[in-house]
Amino acid sequence: MAFPGPVLLKRIPDDPAQRKLFKFKDYVATGGYEALRKAMAMPPEDIIKLVIDSGLRGRGGAGFPCGTKWTFLPKDLHPRYLAVNYDESEPGTFKDRYLCDYDPHILLEGIAIAAYANRIAISYIYIRGEYHYQAKILEEAIQEAYANGIFGKPHPGTDIVHHCYLHRGAGAYICGEETGLLESLEGKRGWPRIKPPFPAVAGAFAKPTIINNVETLACLPSIIINGAAWFKSMGTPGSAGPKLYGASGHVNKPGVYEDELGIKMSTLIEKYCGGVKGKYKAAIPGGVSMGILGTDQYDAELDFDIGRKYNVLGLGTAGVIVMNDQTDLVVMLRNIVRFFAHESCGQCTPCREGTAWLHKMLSRIIAGFGKPKDFDLLMEVALSMGIGPGTTICGLADGANWAVKTFLQKFPEDFKSRLKSGQVRGVLLSSAAGV
Amino acid sequence: MAWIVENRLKPYQPTRSEPYLTASIKKHIEEKYFPRYPRKQAALLPLFHVMMHEYGFIAPEAMDEAADFLGISRAEVQDAVTFYEEFRLTPAGTYVVNVCRSISCELCGHRNVLQRIRDVFGIDPGETTDDGKITVFEVECLGACEQAPCALVNEDLHGNLKPDAFAERLRQLPAKPAQGH
Repeated sequence: MAFPGPVLLKRIPDDPAQRKLFKFKDYVATGGYEALRKAMAMPPEDIIKLVIDSGLRGRGGAGFPCGTKWTFLPKDLHPRYLAVNYDESEPGTFKDRYLCDYDPHILLEGIAIAAYANRIAISYIYIRGEYHYQAKILEEAIQEAYANGIFGKPHPGTDIVHHCYLHRGAGAYICGEETGLLESLEGKRGWPRIKPPFPAVAGAFAKPTIINNVETLACLPSIIINGAAWFKSMGTPGSAGPKLYGASGHVNKPGVYEDELGIKMSTLIEKYCGGVKGKYKAAIPGGVSMGILGTDQYDAELDFDIGRKYNVLGLGTAGVIVMNDQTDLVVMLRNIVRFFAHESCGQCTPCREGTAWLHKMLSRIIAGFGKPKDFDLLMEVALSMGIGPGTTICGLADGANWAVKTFLQKFPEDFKSRLKSGQVRGVLLSSAAGV
Repeated sequence: MAWIVENRLKPYQPTRSEPYLTASIKKHIEEKYFPRYPRKQAALLPLFHVMMHEYGFIAPEAMDEAADFLGISRAEVQDAVTFYEEFRLTPAGTYVVNVCRSISCELCGHRNVLQRIRDVFGIDPGETTDDGKITVFEVECLGACEQAPCALVNEDLHGNLKPDAFAERLRQLPAKPAQGH
């Protein structure tokens, strides 16, 4: 395990005053599009094999092996689409925004490589609606790339012309779910689809579609240049490569930092973030749907095995949210559950109703009307929803499920101390919900 | 959010006699967006982004006109438009202030920001000042957690908000914005 220095952030210095937007010519001057040229000289199958060998796993949250995903495309079924998931809406996650704020061409180069390897006809970058500035930056970068022959040309040896377009979302977290994203791309409400068929077979416009996260694609140029062994030399056996970590909440220097996968959370907080503001109590490892790390799990290794080892859902987006000992965890859990209640698309009943009722119950507890049975009731409602128990189409409810479950399991006293027996009279849920 | 419903208690008053979908918007969409997608329907989101930018809200007539233009049913347009939070069905103030309320911003004190706005302008989330200048909303994560608490003022992100300084900044905004919604 050795981290050679920034890979994805090599054009973005630590000092905010020195950061600047890399335009096409700046990007090329610092070795940009070198990887694309090298990739174009390789047969597409070799690129896919290289990506499989590198052990690159999806950076969007699920950690699915990227090269393996590409092999699911049916042979000789065209046109094929690439949907780039830039709908970064998970609270605590801002790594993709930060990357494209300064270095949009690293994404475009990754897209061009993936498109060449998979014979993609059109790449759609689905960017969330709130990213107005980033949409402008990317639109300009795409124009530059067209002007310089990166897009709009046939893949060598075929007549498939590759285009790249930006598609702006309009404020819906669920459109970051891959099939919800496809529905939204087609101009419909972002309701996730029942799988199968999987997007690799019938995705956007019922054609084979690959969906990759921004950071996953941004890893490709360095893999092409330096090879699979180099990429694997970083991280742990199951989690190879560099990773962007976001840190926010009660830390002295919140921001995006790059290191290899598998570093300890304490290292991230102390080496990069200047330590915790106050005394560490808890942290969320990667976006609010992953659950919470307890006070004794400060040294948790941030890699794809974190879920198995530390009783959380997974690494997620590695957007770490740190909370100090002054934090009211009941209020924080209500915040998380309210997020899911607000962003539930309403398609599956357990999620639509479950998240809303969890929010009402937690609001009631915060208002001082918690009853002893609420602890078990919260747990029962939470555990009933999600892909885990098999009651919903997509994983949104699993986020609420794991958040509630791990908060209650790891910090039971924070909740139980708020629950009092005795008769509660005249509680208006609507007034409690407004607290 | 999937449950934005029409307020049937108030009679509907059209705000514009000409069509919302003007010839120039049609031309823009036809030239720039139709070639990008295999189906016209996929241009729905870009079309309504343009509408929002032009008018600041989506009128019922605008949805009907879009349905004819995109060759889909009115129900399909309404189904999609009402799903997305950025497409507002009612007009808002000149400046729309979206204050983030998600976890990092709550940890870093977004409530103080909202409280200060309440004190200075007398508006709660969802309300507009009497002069129609500022509308404030509480929204979910804006993806700028390292700058928490943060807010979007129209299209500009403001981070590391200090309640007093931010309220003062809002107070000093010019009556007419440099750019649209």
